[in-house]
Amino acid sequence: MKKKNQEIWAGTEDKLNSSEWKEVAGKEFRDSPTADDLSGVTANRRDFLKLMGFGLGAATIAAGCDTPVRKAIPYVVKPDEIVPGVASYYASTYANGGDYCAVLVKTREGRPIKIEGNSLSPVTKGGTHARVQASVLDLYNTNRIKDCGSVNGNEVVPMSWADLDKVVGADLQKEAQIRIVSKTILSPSAKKALAEFQASYPNTKVVTYDPVSSSAMLLANEQSFGQRAIPAYHFDKAQVIVSFGADFLGTWISPVEYASQYATNRKVKGSDTNSLSWHVQVESAMTLTGSNADNRILVKPSEQGVAIAALYNELASKSGAPTVSAPAVNEKAKAALKRVAERLMANKGKSLVVSASNNTGEQILVNAVNDLLGNYGQTIDFTEASHQRQGIDPDVRALVREMNGGSVDALFVMGANPAFDLPDASAFIEGMKKVPLRVSFNTMMDETTSRCNYVAPDHHYLESWGDAEPRRGHFSLMQPTIAPLYRTRQAPETLLRWAGSANLNTSADQAYYEYVKWVWQTDMFPTQSAFATFRGFWEQVLHDGVYHADQTPVTVAFNANISQAASKISKPNAGGLEVSLHECVNMGSGEGADNPWLMEMPDPITRTVWGNYLMLPLSYDADKNEFIALNGLKNFMDKADKADLQVGGNSAQCTVVPQFGQMAETVSINLGYGREVSGRCGAGVGVNAWPWLSVDGDGHTQYYATGANLSERTGQDDEFACVQYHHTMGVTGEVDGEEINVDERAAINFISTGYQGSLTNRSIIFQGSADELDELTAHIHEKRSEYQKLNDNTLYPDYSGIYGQGHHWGMYVDLNACTGCGACTVACMAENNVPVVGKREVHRHHEMTWLRIDRYFYGDAENPNTVYQPLMCQHCDNAPCENVCPVNATNHSSEGLNQMAYNRCIGTRYCANNCPYKVRRFNWLDFNTADVFPANENYPFESDEPFYADNIVRMVLNPDVTVRSRGVIEKCSFCVQRIQEGKLTAKRDERRLRDNDVKTACQTSCPTGAIVFGDRNDKEGLLSKRIESPLVYRVLEEVNTQSSVFYAARVNNKDQKLEA
Amino acid sequence: MRIFLPFILLLLLLLSAPLHAQDMLMPEADVKEGEKIFLNNCASCHNKNMKDDMTGPALGGVQERWAEQPEVLYSWIKNSQAVVQSGNEYAVNLYNQWNQAVMQAFPTLTNEQIDKVLAYVDARYRTVGPYAPKDEAGAVAVGGPVEPEDNTLLYVGLLVVLGILSLILARIISNLNQIATVQETGEAPERKTLADILTSRGVVSFVIFALVVLGGYTTVNNAIALNRQQSYQPEQPIQFSHATHAGIQQIDCQYCHDGARRSKHSVIPASNTCMNCHSAVKVGSQYGTQEITKIYASAGWDPNQNAYYDPEMLTDEEIEAIYKKWIVDNYIKDNDLSSLDSEGEMEVNAQWENIVNSLTSEVKDDLYGPIPWIRVHNLPDHAYFNHAQHVSVGQVECQTCHGPVEEMEVVQQYSPLSMGWCINCHRQTEVNFSGNSYYESYHGYKEEIENGSRKKVTVEDIGGLECQKCHY
Repeated sequence: MKKKNQEIWAGTEDKLNSSEWKEVAGKEFRDSPTADDLSGVTANRRDFLKLMGFGLGAATIAAGCDTPVRKAIPYVVKPDEIVPGVASYYASTYANGGDYCAVLVKTREGRPIKIEGNSLSPVTKGGTHARVQASVLDLYNTNRIKDCGSVNGNEVVPMSWADLDKVVGADLQKEAQIRIVSKTILSPSAKKALAEFQASYPNTKVVTYDPVSSSAMLLANEQSFGQRAIPAYHFDKAQVIVSFGADFLGTWISPVEYASQYATNRKVKGSDTNSLSWHVQVESAMTLTGSNADNRILVKPSEQGVAIAALYNELASKSGAPTVSAPAVNEKAKAALKRVAERLMANKGKSLVVSASNNTGEQILVNAVNDLLGNYGQTIDFTEASHQRQGIDPDVRALVREMNGGSVDALFVMGANPAFDLPDASAFIEGMKKVPLRVSFNTMMDETTSRCNYVAPDHHYLESWGDAEPRRGHFSLMQPTIAPLYRTRQAPETLLRWAGSANLNTSADQAYYEYVKWVWQTDMFPTQSAFATFRGFWEQVLHDGVYHADQTPVTVAFNANISQAASKISKPNAGGLEVSLHECVNMGSGEGADNPWLMEMPDPITRTVWGNYLMLPLSYDADKNEFIALNGLKNFMDKADKADLQVGGNSAQCTVVPQFGQMAETVSINLGYGREVSGRCGAGVGVNAWPWLSVDGDGHTQYYATGANLSERTGQDDEFACVQYHHTMGVTGEVDGEEINVDERAAINFISTGYQGSLTNRSIIFQGSADELDELTAHIHEKRSEYQKLNDNTLYPDYSGIYGQGHHWGMYVDLNACTGCGACTVACMAENNVPVVGKREVHRHHEMTWLRIDRYFYGDAENPNTVYQPLMCQHCDNAPCENVCPVNATNHSSEGLNQMAYNRCIGTRYCANNCPYKVRRFNWLDFNTADVFPANENYPFESDEPFYADNIVRMVLNPDVTVRSRGVIEKCSFCVQRIQEGKLTAKRDERRLRDNDVKTACQTSCPTGAIVFGDRNDKEGLLSKRIESPLVYRVLEEVNTQSSVFYAARVNNKDQKLEA
Repeated sequence: MRIFLPFILLLLLLLSAPLHAQDMLMPEADVKEGEKIFLNNCASCHNKNMKDDMTGPALGGVQERWAEQPEVLYSWIKNSQAVVQSGNEYAVNLYNQWNQAVMQAFPTLTNEQIDKVLAYVDARYRTVGPYAPKDEAGAVAVGGPVEPEDNTLLYVGLLVVLGILSLILARIISNLNQIATVQETGEAPERKTLADILTSRGVVSFVIFALVVLGGYTTVNNAIALNRQQSYQPEQPIQFSHATHAGIQQIDCQYCHDGARRSKHSVIPASNTCMNCHSAVKVGSQYGTQEITKIYASAGWDPNQNAYYDPEMLTDEEIEAIYKKWIVDNYIKDNDLSSLDSEGEMEVNAQWENIVNSLTSEVKDDLYGPIPWIRVHNLPDHAYFNHAQHVSVGQVECQTCHGPVEEMEVVQQYSPLSMGWCINCHRQTEVNFSGNSYYESYHGYKEEIENGSRKKVTVEDIGGLECQKCHY
């Protein structure tokens, strides 16, 4: 029997093929806005005639008018490094608390417009993540605090900096009890500034915390090895990776770094499958990392500790070490962990066990496990330990107590939002009331800043001088790429001024720049020998953005009391509903809330936007052939039930999303939403889940809660925005016992004379297991030969002559390397001026993203595997869209590009209708304020004007890409502006085009190198090599589109012996 | 036979029309040599366009002005001071009129060489246009060369005459027919009046048809041309003369427009680019202090002190004082006055007002800052154009699209900048196929060229007509 390649599903509806689903999925465009929706104007025939008459008259008058006079404003003194029209790139550093990324900032005429990864960095290796990509939009956020001053409610009463310095200075006594609360500080210069401040005010304490904390891990490492640090992990050296709830590909500590390491052993090289790593995730809710794992072991959040202990005991008994006593984990997990232990033992020194647990006992056991496996010095190393999490939870608990005790005189908040993102935020807020002087250095009005007396706003990182040391010896410089937009001042400079530092030259033009330079001259310059002068060293580092100083190796010996640790692990809860709470890739701990790009980026797992949704477990009812979610809650297509979740005394109404892979008796929800005070679009979106967090006996924040209560249905979200079933392709159904595609159904019913057999069982995802790699390649080969035979009977002409010379652009996407993190989707929005449409429009299937990441499940429905498929315009050589355009607005170039001429498009949408991949997007409204009629505008969130209407926000637009107006279709262009730029570079250098000349925005943003773009005619190029792989296939090749995007089939390394 | 009569008449008239009298010209080679001599000796003081004054007067029509005493012209060129001292009336007037500026003596020039220079001057002048004298009330006689005659009037007259003739003839034919009919049948048929003819169905239909066709044609043409700005020639804040800079001074276009070779924009030069030369060249050949002072005000430069100042440290009055002093000093020097007279005061105030108006606007009240040039060449936002592609790779001369900018006093849009115009050029222009290794990837064309089946590769052949070459 032929193996079906359609063993994938996206959700319950298509898994079961319910009749309702077929009905809805068969439609192409849903909820097209009527004139009523658009303007509130009801129009009849006479109105139409009137408008037409007016239009003709207006056009006549307009034709008679003079063309507006346009100015061309030159520079007065042109800076040498700027050529108008040519982008300049500056190496800099993205740092948000402990989140770090080395970046290149693309600037045009002095304004940053795009962030790229810095490939010189040994830490992030040129990768980025979604929040890094979106950070450039934060710079142009019109809701940033524009002046320093006193805070009155959510408003700032402006003051001059001199006045603020005086006012705050007068309040600060030398012996005052000052507390500076911040997230992890990576910057050596800022740390030095803090130390100087502490020297001037000796009773100052710096309290560092991380909203999603690794505090217990830091303390556990101190107890185990005497190192209060996060070690450097080498996922690339590990053959077996076991993660206890650590979302290391999405949010955990250094996801960009780990993802690029992880991908090296996930890509299939030739027929050798032994080099593939085996990844097991132990968790209850499906995280981004869990979705990429080969096997998932389901344990409740409260069972994490006993699961770690069970693994330790298995390994200890195998290697003769003392075991510990701990309660039992669930039977299924116990059996699975036994198998895991076997494979770990077989891969000593080539394995890696990590845990996101914030319990010191559990983290010590994890250390013991890695020690038993001999991983220290192999896959785990303290020599270049990470600084990316430094927060110690008990410190912040102590601060809250101190504040409530009234012993704190002044509270400085530096880039943190403790009144929102602490489990005890309400106690913190109470405590704040007892602190007389409260100063915030935050850039945005938030829950904490609005409760301060004064605000001394910091620069955005793209306006700042600074540095970072993400790992010991790995330094990174931050340089400004634009003059400060508002009257802000860098926070460390403010502290140095208040401290009256002798090292800060207050009369200098850029005082903090001089200070950073001074720090580098004293601290970093002596650690190198390559440069004789500081100037040479500084300029090199400024150019490269990064500097690495060699470290003396640190070897560690495990030395901790294991049985004591085991006694501290969390005890599994006997029964009842448990909630796990997660940081997500777009929102972080809440700092992404005011960024519409991030709000509109679909969550990789649930594919929901504009909010956080409660993920519910599903169970299969064989009698009814139905998947039933917890409490019978439903979510069908564009509507979702709401239910109240109660944890302790806190209750909130959440919209639910039944989710494959969610463990029974557990639910989960993302953190960071439900902001109370945020700028234009963050406030009131989603549910604030921070109050549901609990604190353990040691004072560590726990990211789960037990004893939760979920109510029955209490309401319905009528604007449920989930892109899950938008733009689906080739979902199969059944007619008269025969399997057909749902979207061909209508046509078949009409024609009733049969249909092309090839159209069923579409080739969207090919996947298989590593053990059966040969079978998979044979299957792909067989299918592709079948398709090619079908396609030989074509009426289309032979293109080899047309595309045989010059360029023939193509793309390769490795489904094994793609982790679904979504950095590419945001990068695409930034590069191509893709508009933000808002929740209501997404609900109506009007999202504009050119690149979507489809998420499919396969395997066991109870605990499925996942595959992510980035899908953009496939640039088919036989493009179905081109044939149906009545005005030839979309057509083909000789380089194989499917071109879209916006100015020709009259908006019939035939092309979108005829596109089998559903990658064309229609501008239902004037999303970018590109035309002149206000009634067409779209208000994506509660604000006075549409997004992109403000001139400050418009500064982020890429000047090389047209801003589309209402009524035209748009789609992925393969970043044609970059293609043209690359070709021009090659032509000017009088040489052939090279691989590096053209890289698309999605390609450069990817941390794992899953996307390769290139010229198929360049036989020496990387693309040509990649697409020769036997795993390569084209999506829907059977319909003879001759697409230009090649996918490498997903190969999972699932251990079939492991049942969980 | 009679029907041909008008054509015969027309032919006769055309033949008898006066032919253009060919002017007596020196041979081409002599003119060329004259140009060489002119450029080496005269061009530093006399404007190359022959119609505008520079340090010395415009030379266009010089022979007519000296027509009464052609011999003295030779002596004047060889040694003008000698002629002045000899008391020659015309020479003394000229000398005084030009503020007694002494013309350099050229004793080595032979009469033949001078003839050649004069021939060049004359030839050049004819192609440029008539002479606009510096001071019309002055003693210099006005005498330009004869403009090539415009024959339009003649043709219109001819047409009218022919029209009348044919009407008369038609009437005669009609009368003769009438007479013939009367003679044949004996009774006079009813004659159609002119009104009958004009309101007949055939004529009305024809007129309506013609109107629809003409109207449609005009509408479509005008609609296509909407927003096109060919010949757009806005007045600029500074009366910058490309003719002076690119024409006479032969400054390379890309000296100022330095983006053209490396960027999509050719780049309007920054004020400090102007200052590269104008910190030395402080008084203009045409407008004196008026225009160049604007650059100084924009760049924050004090021409009296030859130094930059910090515009934020000075009040508006102090800045005004700097430039007024500069203008006054120059006025006094130019007019050889001891102090500013009332006429001069008006002149200075007018200049100052012009400077302020040119550099400030509702959004910019300081003189210091960028010069608000008016953009002449405007492409629609959805069209992408890259100068570097055309200038560096395509090696296209600036003049191909921008026209003879080096002859434009005020720059104007020379080309239509329409899509059809772009496409036409892309169809015709050949790429440097064998000279640039980039094109090696087009191996098909390479083979065709080698086996002789292809002569050239045009921009069109490598996809230059495709939408996304310019629209994305």
